[in-house]
Amino acid sequence: MSVEGEAKSVKCLLCSRDAVSELCRYHLQGKESLETAYPHWVKAYGILGWKDYLDRVKRNVQTGQWAKETAEMLAGR
Amino acid sequence: MPGRTPRQAGYTLVVCEKPDVARRVSEALSDGSATGSTVDGTTVFRFVWGGEQLVVCSAQGHLYAVSDPFEERTVYPIFDLEWYPSDLVEAGAGAGRRVAAIRKLAEGASKFVNACDLDVEGETIGYNILRYACGGKEEEALRAKFSTLTKEDLVTAFREAASQGAQGMARAGRARHAIDFVWGINLSRALSQSALGSGRRFRTVSIGRVQGPSLNFLVEREREIRTFVPVPFWKLSGTFGRGGAKLVAEYSRERILTKSEAEEVKSECADREAIATKVAKITVLVPPPSPFNIGDLQREAYRAFGLLPVRTMQAAEKLYLDALISYPRTGSQRLPPSTGFARILRGLSGLPQYSVEANELLRGELRPAQGTGTDLAHPAIHPTGEKPRRAPQSAEASIFDLVVRRFLSTFGPPARREAVRVEISVGAHKFTLVAARTVFLGWLAYYRKYSGLKDLDAPRVEEGDRFKVAKVEASESFDQPQRRYNQATLLGRMESERIGTKATRADIISTLVERGYVEGQSMEVTDLGLAVIEIMKKYAPPIATTELTRKTEGELEAVEEDGIGDADLMRSTIRSMSEQLLGLIANEEEVGRELDRALTSSAGAQDFLGPCPVCKDGTLRVVRSVRTKKRFVGCSNYPSGCRASAPLPQRGTIKVAGNACAHCSWPMVHVMGGRRPWKLCVNPSCPSKARRRA
Ligand SMILES: [Zn+2]
Repeated sequence: MSVEGEAKSVKCLLCSRDAVSELCRYHLQGKESLETAYPHWVKAYGILGWKDYLDRVKRNVQTGQWAKETAEMLAGR
Repeated sequence: MPGRTPRQAGYTLVVCEKPDVARRVSEALSDGSATGSTVDGTTVFRFVWGGEQLVVCSAQGHLYAVSDPFEERTVYPIFDLEWYPSDLVEAGAGAGRRVAAIRKLAEGASKFVNACDLDVEGETIGYNILRYACGGKEEEALRAKFSTLTKEDLVTAFREAASQGAQGMARAGRARHAIDFVWGINLSRALSQSALGSGRRFRTVSIGRVQGPSLNFLVEREREIRTFVPVPFWKLSGTFGRGGAKLVAEYSRERILTKSEAEEVKSECADREAIATKVAKITVLVPPPSPFNIGDLQREAYRAFGLLPVRTMQAAEKLYLDALISYPRTGSQRLPPSTGFARILRGLSGLPQYSVEANELLRGELRPAQGTGTDLAHPAIHPTGEKPRRAPQSAEASIFDLVVRRFLSTFGPPARREAVRVEISVGAHKFTLVAARTVFLGWLAYYRKYSGLKDLDAPRVEEGDRFKVAKVEASESFDQPQRRYNQATLLGRMESERIGTKATRADIISTLVERGYVEGQSMEVTDLGLAVIEIMKKYAPPIATTELTRKTEGELEAVEEDGIGDADLMRSTIRSMSEQLLGLIANEEEVGRELDRALTSSAGAQDFLGPCPVCKDGTLRVVRSVRTKKRFVGCSNYPSGCRASAPLPQRGTIKVAGNACAHCSWPMVHVMGGRRPWKLCVNPSCPSKARRRA
């Protein structure tokens, strides 16, 4: 089993697309959506930590697949 | 037609578009006495009409197609193109024998009549046959124009057959085929060659002039959906009681953005007295709908029966060939008086399911509602009033009923709906309740089962009535992402963006599915679909956007109207196509690599599986071996030394199952695609597996 060719170009941490900076453009867009929505969630619930927020977002059925995967990754950091 | 030209030696050869039309034409003109015989396997009808010998033959759709002169499928760019009998272009099209038969029949003919469908495709079919199979008769042939296959319309059409004029539709049709061919063949060969260059076995990766922007609509929506993060809000509703009766009303503000405010409103309303501060009755007139054009019919059939646009087109086409409805490929939403409303209604009154409605309408003035859509060649879709000779098949029966009921309803008076809006105040807080019902059916009497309008009984409330607040509920909600397009809504978008034609849109959508760019009823875009658009946007941007396509559509419309300008349009197409092609050729390697990656993935498949339990820093994801193309689990930290890896089943779509494995904290996945999805922990040394092995 080998991952030859993997180092040829920098891959997204979450998929096999080329990374722009650690993530591909799709997962980066997911990350941007997460960051844009966070202040709205904080306002809505009063107090809400970033990790708690990510945890809720990734369990929400309306959250899109790429945003969910990005939330999962960010939550693990 | 007969009597207007001096009798000549030889017969008149009539060219129809389809065998069923040839049979209908012959039956109508010969009063049913014409019998068919075969010439080289093609059925022809011979009879005398108005003192002239007529020979009626037919094509079977396009007998000629545009192609390039090269046998090798990998040659590009292609600028040489020619019209060939279509079975030389596509094996099994069966055009060769038909072309030979028509050629033989043309030798003995002294006059020609083009009786193909009166639209761009039909004109193109007729023009090509008259030009290539009949020896250059495309200019001198007469044109028979009809919108239904009823005896009356056909007799009139042949009696009034006249010279063809500038043949703008045929010129525009031929130009459209040539332009689409040049774009399609060159872009598709560039893409397929790039994929081949990356070591993959040959696979057609195609994209076309209209297909590109259509796929881009889906991709843009897909990106919005997959990167969507909902924002929470609260909805409030109040239940109000008065003497045993209950009323439920919604809070006047649809969205409350903070939980604290929602709680505040709730507590301020609790156990208070409420007053009906306003009761307003509004009467709304709902005008009858306009008759169907093909897009309207396809969308309505999708809504009412879930029929895909391409299937609706087939059913409508069959009903037309059975002379039950008028020509369906029309953009018109208008019915001129020459349609013969009373005659059609009298015909429908002979069908038990419509007799009451048809007779009722016959007693009044017949003025249909008209829409704004127009068509140079055909009126809106309408029934002919003929009785079905056989029971229509299920889809056809549904479409027939829809067309008849829509036609009937266009003559009906406006429906009247009464809405009651009640405003209930609790201190400074307001709640509203709206109920609407139909009080006069009007046209809805004919269209009720398809209208989708619901009736809600209005509450008996007067201004000043007092209530007790029984409860106020706050429910937490979240924004919804946009819906994916379905085939009907995508068709609507293509129409409003004015790309493609009424005849081709449904087929273009089907092609997106066949090529594997979208999957399922909800048209989820696959990785391949995303990659194709990404490549286009990077290296040949005009293919993914509407501007170029819409500009060409406008130029084609001008050719259709004026009958000139097709040669200029072809030249500008070659020019802009060459520019775009250069971008793809210059980046062949990168295009190939991106396609190769996408071809190994499928819609909704997930590469990311979860955090790496070994190095605790990287992420576990689905990786493919460049050498064997097999997939397995690997860690993103492989380059810096993490060797966490695991085998994966090679078939089926992998989706993350949610929680990590309780025994080893490696990711759990669902493997879908077999008879039944199954769940597994990806860790080959998971303790749970060891127990099973023991
Ligand atoms: Zn990615």
